[in-house]
Amino acid sequence: MRSEICVSPRDEFRTINTSRCQKDSCLAPLENGENTIDVSRVDAVCSGRPQADNMSDATVMLAAIEAGDSNAAEQLLVLVYDELRRLAASKLAHEAPGQTLQPTALVHEAWLRLVGDKTPAFNDREHFFRASAEAMRRILIDRARRKHTRRHGGEYHRVDFEGFDLAAPAADNQLLAVNEALDKFASEHPIQADLVKLRYFAGMTNEEVSQVLGISLSTVKNYWTFSRAWLLNEIGGQ
Amino acid sequence: MNGDPDRELVVFTEALKVPIQERAAFLEIACAGDENLRHKVEALLRAKDRLGNFLEEPPTGAPEA
Repeated sequence: MRSEICVSPRDEFRTINTSRCQKDSCLAPLENGENTIDVSRVDAVCSGRPQADNMSDATVMLAAIEAGDSNAAEQLLVLVYDELRRLAASKLAHEAPGQTLQPTALVHEAWLRLVGDKTPAFNDREHFFRASAEAMRRILIDRARRKHTRRHGGEYHRVDFEGFDLAAPAADNQLLAVNEALDKFASEHPIQADLVKLRYFAGMTNEEVSQVLGISLSTVKNYWTFSRAWLLNEIGGQ
Repeated sequence: MNGDPDRELVVFTEALKVPIQERAAFLEIACAGDENLRHKVEALLRAKDRLGNFLEEPPTGAPEA
């Protein structure tokens, strides 16, 4: 079902539509934040009917993931990633410089826009929040890398499109270090690494993580302490 | 080698429930001669003591205060 062409949002072929824009889906590292927002996509999402398409896309993908379709998980990630990027850029463009990203609020807004406020089917929230956590991780890492490059690349005069590039090098360095250590952590402790993505990158509470991962609250707390200690120990020497 | 990652998690979690003055004795028994495991858990316990606010706030990109 993968399409090499970027299908118009008004395309009537929904099966193709669910995989549209794979090619230009922003998942590749980005050089210029301003140019990464696909204007036609923003128009599409904002103009009514195509948003309904997006909503159904997400619903269709969630059902497909539940049915065991591994491609659907990647498609959902692309959809959620684009939506979160768009929401983040839009929020930061309309608010005062110094504004911060609020991952939790963004993820919940993306849920409402893509899935709606109807009662979710079994496991839909889990699949959606897992995709969101991974998408937020990529967005935050891309941004931290861009800022890092800019700080060390001489583009000091450039106004950051996110509007809050007053620089927090320590925070960015920690973010990048944690992200690097997280890959190693995931190879040894995959469930706990998922927890870190949900808590740290998507800003979820212990209660939300407990629901998404289907483990008890006390287990979430134990895993979280272990994960933090493991990651701090791993990056501690840097 | 890495050993069993789950044992690292279990021994660490259980060790936290043991009073500090009894931890060495607990690790002695729990690690059952597995020095690699013991060193890992001891390093994690030391890291735990200096966690502070580490990772508690999502990385929002906020300028530091």
